[in-house]
Amino acid sequence: MRYINVNELAFHYEDEPVLENISFEVNSGDFVMLTGENGAAKTTLLRNILGLLKPSRGNVELSTKNRRGEKLVVGYVPQQVASFNAGFPSTVLELVQSGRYPRGKWFKRLDKEDKEHVRRSLESVGMWDMRHKKIGELSGGQKQRISIARVFATDPDLFVLDEPTTGMDSQSREEFYRLLKHNSRVHGKGILMVTHDHEELRQFANKHIELIRKEDSPWRCFSMDSCKEPSRHHSSSH
Amino acid sequence: MFFYGFMQRAFQASFLISLTAPILGLFLILRRQSLMADTLSHVSLAGVALGLLLGISPTWTNIFVVMVVAVALEYLRLVYRTYSEISVAMLMSGGMAVALVLMGLNESGTSVSINQFLFGSIVTISQEQVILLAVLTVIIIILYIVFRKPMYILTFDEDTAFTAGLPVRAMSILFNVLTGVTIAVIMPIVGALLVSAIIVLPAAISMRLSKSFNGVILIGIVVALIGMLSGLVASYQYGTPPGASITLIFIVLFGLTSLIKKTLSSSRRERLNKRRDLAGDQ
Repeated sequence: MRYINVNELAFHYEDEPVLENISFEVNSGDFVMLTGENGAAKTTLLRNILGLLKPSRGNVELSTKNRRGEKLVVGYVPQQVASFNAGFPSTVLELVQSGRYPRGKWFKRLDKEDKEHVRRSLESVGMWDMRHKKIGELSGGQKQRISIARVFATDPDLFVLDEPTTGMDSQSREEFYRLLKHNSRVHGKGILMVTHDHEELRQFANKHIELIRKEDSPWRCFSMDSCKEPSRHHSSSH
Repeated sequence: MFFYGFMQRAFQASFLISLTAPILGLFLILRRQSLMADTLSHVSLAGVALGLLLGISPTWTNIFVVMVVAVALEYLRLVYRTYSEISVAMLMSGGMAVALVLMGLNESGTSVSINQFLFGSIVTISQEQVILLAVLTVIIIILYIVFRKPMYILTFDEDTAFTAGLPVRAMSILFNVLTGVTIAVIMPIVGALLVSAIIVLPAAISMRLSKSFNGVILIGIVVALIGMLSGLVASYQYGTPPGASITLIFIVLFGLTSLIKKTLSSSRRERLNKRRDLAGDQ
């Protein structure tokens, strides 16, 4: 089932083109990695897809239903959340529990199953023992881990992740990728992930979108050549 | 002092404000809108001046004007997303300017009334205001209980809230309007110049004392009760303006909690270092 369909998308900041000719889709069971040099408007593309920005041309269709015909739940991990550093009064447990709210728990108490989900999510990133800590007291890598735990607690149909592994060591990264792969292959989740670790991620992703600077444009404008399968045998980047 | 009707009403009003101020204050701080309370209190002066000029109840003109501006604030916040203080500066000075112009147009000697609204006065609290405040308190507490989870996500990160399917804009406007109405109602009691301190300080103090969201609200209510009630007693005893007395008590409480917290954390650090040194020696 198609979760995201990006069709000839272009995005301009005022009159300056930043993205042109972007077309791809993310289906249920896809693990798509989105790469590009620094400043390649990867985050801008994600924000267009999520409806946080409006495309200047073309369109984005974000499915409203999941493959079981229920309401599609999107789990978004932004690159940076200012509240993490601004003394937001929340414990790790409170924050990860909030991941369950979009699962029909806005106005209901969390039940046993929700709490079990939260526990498993925190354990999967090794943060269960830190659950009573204030989020502002955590290190950068730990904050990243609880963002991941939170999105796993949501158990979304579609993961949209913006450089989620920043500050994590290579072993934790690999465990995280395995978990995502399991979610896409076994549970049919759709995954769209911005990353700089494309060497590490190649063996897990099944699609690779690379944003490349348009040479014929006087602006710093990015496009994609095609949506391809990640090459798994040679280590040079595209 | 407790036998006077106006003091009884003042204590009732202070109790009710203590229940609502930390809730609104926490969200204002976390949404980086602490100055919004100040803006709305200046604007509410224009509402009062309009009521006095038209010869109708300033409470209702005040509520109306503040509600309109609260909606405008959300629009300006989106327009000046990166420089949100522009909207604050614009509306704060604009509100004050309109108030002064309307007062100038009113030739029936309203300066006494305006002074009461600027600095607050215990004797101005009417039974009608206490009832209005009680209704508002019930509404805010119910809304907090019902919308606690969506508001938690909204204040944590608006983008995440949007992708989770929350009506971010509608929630922000509702919150601004509710804050505006609260300010319009409590402004005559504590004074336009200090109303934002009464709303923001209890939450700012309790944020230093609690790790959790609900903990901040509960401790904030206790802090607000201590500050409001003792400030009111001090105001009566020494004949000082209630808003100023309460604000000073909150500032002393803020200083004390900061000092105690700093002492505790440095002694904890020392204990840890000693333990580390002992382990190193062994």
